[in-house]
Amino acid sequence: MIEFKEVTVVYDKDIVGLDNVSFKIEEGEFVFLVGKTGAGKSSAIKLLTGEIKPTSGDVIVDGIVVNRLKRRKIPYLRRAQGVVFQDFRLLPNKTVYENVAFAMEITGKKKKDIQRKVPKILSLVGLSERANNYPNEISGGEQQRVSIARALVNSPSLIIADEPTGNLDVETSAEVMNLFEEINKMGTTIVMVTHSEKIVNDMQKRVIQLENGVLVRDEENGVYNIGA
Amino acid sequence: MTIASFITVTCCLFLFGVFVIFSMNMNYIGKQLEQQCELQAYMYLETDEPQQRAVYEKVLQLDNVYDATLETERQAFENFKKQLGEDGDLLDGLEDKDFLRSSIKITLHDIRKSNDTKKAVEKISGIEKVENYQDTVGKVLSLTGAVNKGSTVGMIVLMIIAVFIIQNTIKLSVFAREKEIHIMKFVGATDRFIRTPFVIEGIMIGALGFIVSYAVILFSYTPAISTVKDLIKMFDFLPLQSCALQLGVMMALFGTMMGAIGSAVSIKRHLKV
Ligand SMILES: Nc1ncnc2c1ncn2[C@@H]1O[C@H](COP(=O)(O)OP(=O)(O)OP(=O)(O)O)[C@@H](O)[C@H]1O
Ligand SMILES: [Mg+2]
Repeated sequence: MIEFKEVTVVYDKDIVGLDNVSFKIEEGEFVFLVGKTGAGKSSAIKLLTGEIKPTSGDVIVDGIVVNRLKRRKIPYLRRAQGVVFQDFRLLPNKTVYENVAFAMEITGKKKKDIQRKVPKILSLVGLSERANNYPNEISGGEQQRVSIARALVNSPSLIIADEPTGNLDVETSAEVMNLFEEINKMGTTIVMVTHSEKIVNDMQKRVIQLENGVLVRDEENGVYNIGA
Repeated sequence: MTIASFITVTCCLFLFGVFVIFSMNMNYIGKQLEQQCELQAYMYLETDEPQQRAVYEKVLQLDNVYDATLETERQAFENFKKQLGEDGDLLDGLEDKDFLRSSIKITLHDIRKSNDTKKAVEKISGIEKVENYQDTVGKVLSLTGAVNKGSTVGMIVLMIIAVFIIQNTIKLSVFAREKEIHIMKFVGATDRFIRTPFVIEGIMIGALGFIVSYAVILFSYTPAISTVKDLIKMFDFLPLQSCALQLGVMMALFGTMMGAIGSAVSIKRHLKV
């Protein structure tokens, strides 16, 4: 469960990222975060991962007040989250398999567990054949599926995605979105930032819209329609 | 790791080692001075040997006297000749001239009472004057103290330079892996997990620098000391085997700690994600 309680983020030089934003997201929901450039979507996501702290208000994830978490506890928060970015953020000198395994190694998992889990996750995202390829040897859609596999491998209860289809064509985007929907059906909460009208309208999920840092719309089965 | 930074770290460590060995020898010389005689009582030229013996016995019976040695004219002459070393033949033919006096060297139980003892010795007949070397010894000791302070300051300066250099070297390799570090942070790696390989790299730089600089010092110490000893004959210097271990431990600690600190400092900024 995620809760934003009257969250305000002010950056240097009084630039407002978020302005008194409150909302709740329940376990297992699929939520789109939409809005124009600079609306504050990425700021909201950075609050969830503990990368930034609110100027005022509280950000609560699974009962933990993220903004009050000690710095050295943040890694453990992130292990319970899977993060997916527009630019994939894969390690270029590691293979597909190694990129995914890496996320488990970091958390100190046993080698045996890693060897059992990684192939399962790779087959879930349809990349078993590509396990030994390097990121520059596979397509953008495949790279994004690797980063989704990496986000999934530690069995997080929450997946956070900031424009995951931003660098993909329509067809590949649809494939990746199908994958997210499957993951969501298995019970994982998904919070996704997107600029794609088509995706939002096709998926018929809850939509939260931000405008200049203010929450202006929050509706179930919403459409994109962020205005001119 | 660049060759240049390895060389600079090695030079820093070498200088550090020289400072350490220098101050170890200063302390060693200080101890020698402390053990040297504290009072020296000179007898009148007219006194003959039996009279001198009698005076010597009296001195030995004084309260605060720990030990005393009688140095007769002849012995004084021989000692002087020895101190001059190769130039000793200057004295040839002067054996019978009365220019050196018999004296008694006195060490004390309690140095603090040296003035009282000096007065007591002066009262013994046959003694012309008593010299108190406390002042000289004190001056030399405060000089070695100052030199020690100076080399401590030098060591601290070197420490800062070494940390700075190692930090810059590590910075380059951190920079090359910045993206990787960020990814690791997003997947939930702890600071320690990320820091460890860089700290190991820093320690390796320090350790390599240590091996080279320590080897240079080990090979050059004995020849260097014998050169210095030719110039300053008064003092003994530490033989290599009695300072090598302590020096090695200090240099190894210095090198590896600087490496660890330098790399920890340079990665700190990148962990704030
Ligand atoms: N580190 C920062 N320092 C200063 N201002 C920032 C910083 N990050 C974001 N901002 C500002 O905060 C506001 C919200 O930014 P944010 O990145 O949350 O927008 P966004 O909705 O993700 O935009 P986009 O769709 O372009 O990614 C913007 O005005 C932005 O310029
Ligand atoms: Mg953004």
